[in-house]
Amino acid sequence: MLMGIDYFIIIAYMIGMMGLGYYFKKFITSSDDYFIAGKSLPFWAIAMSLIVSDIGAVDFVGTAGQAYRYGIVVANFDWLGSVPGMIIAAFIFIPFYWRSGIYTIPEYLGRRYNQWAQLIASITWILFYTFGLGVTFWASGVMLNTLMGWPVWLSIVITGIVVGFYTVSGGLSAVVMTDVVQMIIMFIGGGAMVFLGMNHVGGWEGLVDKVGAMGDQFSNHFELVLPSDTDTPYPWTGILFGLTFVMANAYWIGNQSIVQRCLAAKSEWHAKASLLLGAVLKMFIPVLIIFPGLIAVVTNPGLENGDQAVPMLIRNFIPPGLLGLLFAAFFAALMSTIDSTLNSTATLWTNDIYRKYIKKDVSDKHYLKTGKVTTIVILVLAMMTSPITDTFPGIYVAIQTLLSFFQGPIFAVILLGMLWKRTTQWGGLFGLTGGIILSLLLYLFKESIFTIKDPFLYVSWWSFVGALIITYFI
Amino acid sequence: MLNFDWANGISTDTAKGIIIGLFFVIGVAVLFLPKKYIYAGVEEPHWYHNLKLWAITALVIIACTYLYF
Repeated sequence: MLMGIDYFIIIAYMIGMMGLGYYFKKFITSSDDYFIAGKSLPFWAIAMSLIVSDIGAVDFVGTAGQAYRYGIVVANFDWLGSVPGMIIAAFIFIPFYWRSGIYTIPEYLGRRYNQWAQLIASITWILFYTFGLGVTFWASGVMLNTLMGWPVWLSIVITGIVVGFYTVSGGLSAVVMTDVVQMIIMFIGGGAMVFLGMNHVGGWEGLVDKVGAMGDQFSNHFELVLPSDTDTPYPWTGILFGLTFVMANAYWIGNQSIVQRCLAAKSEWHAKASLLLGAVLKMFIPVLIIFPGLIAVVTNPGLENGDQAVPMLIRNFIPPGLLGLLFAAFFAALMSTIDSTLNSTATLWTNDIYRKYIKKDVSDKHYLKTGKVTTIVILVLAMMTSPITDTFPGIYVAIQTLLSFFQGPIFAVILLGMLWKRTTQWGGLFGLTGGIILSLLLYLFKESIFTIKDPFLYVSWWSFVGALIITYFI
Repeated sequence: MLNFDWANGISTDTAKGIIIGLFFVIGVAVLFLPKKYIYAGVEEPHWYHNLKLWAITALVIIACTYLYF
């Protein structure tokens, strides 16, 4: 139950975010300032923004729930599934994008292949980002309703107003700088929960001993590498081929909201350094989002739904005052995801669609205004469509799964386009669309093709291979 | 083939070795990057601008983590 001090902390956090975002308004005089912060951001701010945007509020509960069921293997998404990809992106791909002066990944595809590849990629990202925003709003609202008892609509409206205010006011600069504060709050709030929980179970050694003593079901809970014939969704083959080689690279190299931040770096060195610092920070993320799941194995054994792990920890260990800080951390995780997606979607619409097909060659002020209006329209659209999520249970997972269909094909097309001069414009287009269709087919027939549970890592690997072959031969 | 059946005979220790080998290969590749490329965009280079150090630090941390678990 929230006390007065908790409400005070949450309200102070919200007002602080709006104030900080508004401060950056004075620096926004052109569309460059709004979309890529006038190429002025330092590496440390970008690094912290990259890390915090990658974690949503739902991840705090959902990833801990996965760790409760499967153990520390889930940490592969932040370790093996991020660090090598970030280093490769830092030294090979990001400097290339930064020098080319592009705003968006589809813009690169347009330059390298043709306008159709750009159009398909842009429209796909815009649709999924907008719809995904609504789903994220609802899923987070439901989570906060369970944890705090706030009505779902209240969380959505408050988050929408605060994020909309600072994103429209200060553009990417405000998004990144509020992310910096949000990351600090997230580390303090989430870290406090882990500290209290670890203290209760007798520290690291106590945790390992107690989980190990709970029976065969938990014997692999501290194994990062599971056999290839494991019945969990995380065999080492899937982790290495699907996650490390494809999904991680696709995310750090081909995801608009990630790349856009690096394009806003003040120099090529800052762009590279942001990803490398991010790689080091990434190593600490599992402590925040996975350890709570492992602690709950000891404190609350036998939960039917792993997603109950975090609510149980909160109920058992978090005192008033710290509770407010923890919920501020949840809001920070939610807001950092929403603000990044909003700014990226506005950039995609304004630069790849509006500037190219609807109104060419008008003043820069006009594109700046379009970017701001688009941000508001997408936000309102996402908030209004979010209740649809309630009508279709499982839609959050479905959207995440659908998004993963694009990772492999987009990475294949970017990789070949950059490293192989003989890739043709039609090869890129058919590789992209063919790879997406292959992903869909593999997913639709997954039960007759694959033997492991939820084979999304294998789907991502084979769709990447398929897209690579199509692009090569056409 | 789609299920990576060929890998069923590979132990998790060998798999861990492959993963740590990947970190090693990336580390060696980073060490071979030219100095000019590493310092691109820096007007007055200092030792802490050397991005090879940053990358190797991240790789050492992750390699130790995989050795431990």
